[in-house]
Amino acid sequence: VLAHIGLLRWSAQETETPVDLRAVVDPTVDPLIPAGRELLSFVDATLTSPRTDKARSLRSAVGERALIMAAAVIGNFQMMNRVADATGMPVGTGSRRKNAALIEELGLARFDHLADGSA
Amino acid sequence: VTLARPELEVRPDLGLQLDDTWRALGAAGARWTGAERVRIIAEARAARLDTVPTRELDDATTRAARAVAAHPASIRQRWVGELAADGLGPDHYVELVAVVSRAVAIDTFLEGLGLPVEPLPEPVAGDPSGEVDHRARRAAAWVPMVGGASITQALSLVPTANAELERLHGTLYLTFEEMSEVEPGKDLSRPQMELVAARTSAHNECFY
Repeated sequence: VLAHIGLLRWSAQETETPVDLRAVVDPTVDPLIPAGRELLSFVDATLTSPRTDKARSLRSAVGERALIMAAAVIGNFQMMNRVADATGMPVGTGSRRKNAALIEELGLARFDHLADGSA
Repeated sequence: VTLARPELEVRPDLGLQLDDTWRALGAAGARWTGAERVRIIAEARAARLDTVPTRELDDATTRAARAVAAHPASIRQRWVGELAADGLGPDHYVELVAVVSRAVAIDTFLEGLGLPVEPLPEPVAGDPSGEVDHRARRAAAWVPMVGGASITQALSLVPTANAELERLHGTLYLTFEEMSEVEPGKDLSRPQMELVAARTSAHNECFY
């Protein structure tokens, strides 16, 4: 999550797109980016209710091709998250230091399982 | 992979990559036969559905397939060591991670679009290649990698697994080269892609 919150911040700055990073971990926050709420609802429904029809509102907001891309990105990070956690991929000390304020503000330390039992 | 629904405007490269991946999952890898890999996928699916073990695999392989599929954030270094002590060494484990994670990616993609998951891949006869990269060393991560701990090298102990992961990553999201592009020309803007990626990772409680 840390890497992609960083990429979200970077890409929003570069494209001058407003974004509220808190939306990544707080469903009550509007992410501000175009179709952001619909995208987040789609992620949530895909990962928690895989057998329901969750595509309708996102399809009407962004169209068919973007809907497919959103499903593909979710699939990709289902894969990469498993690879990272199963291999014990560390977050470097430089990245931790650089993102310390973000980790604190968004409460990301609760996801930092890799430190457990790594001795 | 069945994407034949008229309203779906699937990019041709995406459809082809999914087909290639699904077929490859049923073929022998470096350490597992095609039939064993299919049984691993079946176990992974059973775990995601929270159903009982298939009893088609030995205990260590069953534990590994279920954990990687259904609760990867619970995996700890000590547990990976216990798997090795129970006979599931690093090269078998790394290939299992590659198989399960790619199968989950494709299942999730189809679930997101409201499509049924594919039938299990057809097992392809043949022996495992035995191809592992003996330059891989354990450093900051829990399994040996070539060139130090890096997400792009995470499965490099088993080169074909790492290459297949990279290809699927490039199709479902971005190639490693495209990751530095702010407007990579996919069907979502880069901020939209990263919002989806970050929220997915938050669901998975993946700190990385």
